[in-house]
Amino acid sequence: MARLTDEAQWIVMMGFIVSITIFILAIIIGESALIGKTTSESVLEFSKADVQDLRAEIMTLKDKGILYGNPIDKSSVLEDISNLSLQRRNAVVYVTNWTDKIEHMRYIYIHFNNGITDYNEVYDEYDY
Amino acid sequence: MVDGLGQLYTIEGVAAGILMVFTAYLVISSTTVITPQDIHIIDLQLEQLGNDALAILDTPDSLGEKSLLQRQIENDGGNAFGENFSRIINSKVNPLEVDNLKFSAILYYRDISSGNTLSIPINNSATYLREKAVKVKRWVYVNPVPPCSNPFGLNTRNQTVLVEVLLWRG
Repeated sequence: MARLTDEAQWIVMMGFIVSITIFILAIIIGESALIGKTTSESVLEFSKADVQDLRAEIMTLKDKGILYGNPIDKSSVLEDISNLSLQRRNAVVYVTNWTDKIEHMRYIYIHFNNGITDYNEVYDEYDY
Repeated sequence: MVDGLGQLYTIEGVAAGILMVFTAYLVISSTTVITPQDIHIIDLQLEQLGNDALAILDTPDSLGEKSLLQRQIENDGGNAFGENFSRIINSKVNPLEVDNLKFSAILYYRDISSGNTLSIPINNSATYLREKAVKVKRWVYVNPVPPCSNPFGLNTRNQTVLVEVLLWRG
């Protein structure tokens, strides 16, 4: 029946060789993860906070009555946003608003572009 | 001739197979390879925390009221901001514990007479010594007309200023 020969040594050795190969392959795969784009990287790159913040500020200005009040106030505040955006956020921001007397609608146009993310929004509401 | 030789080969083959699978299991389960990409997760969480903290401070209690951040820039000054901001970012679930996040906040505004962008430090909880930091920003609407004390010397007009906060774990 079963005999012990030196055949088994070859099989064990092959097992070791294959195991060590898998080990080395695992190291190589671990290193290769250095290159690539992770989810968190993409989230960091996407200027979600910038866009949300800009939008929130424009809505604040609307609620404070700046956008529909004194035109000098309005243009100076909007210039603050465009200038500071360009200098501190590397983003081109353009905001304008108008009232459509016939349709009784008020519109706010928000444009944001930082070279990676381009965001445009037209906000509208009924003009009472 | 039929004998048990094949069985022995099979048994040893299975043994070698188990050895290989076990090694692969050990390699995969016992090593956590920390790659540079993983640090972005920390940055991401820190940035989210900072943006949330600024959003909390810049949200008024009710419509039409001034937000805490607006009041601090118009009247209360940098120390008030520092206290509030520090408390928000260093809060933990256990109220007895505090986190050790540090920040440095700067206010940017446009000077109407010269048209230049000027900056003024608001407050910092530690000196920034080139630690790995993230920057969070927030637009704030202010109008520091008297009786506001206007601690940062802004133009007295309706304006939007930019609060930039450098945030790091120290």
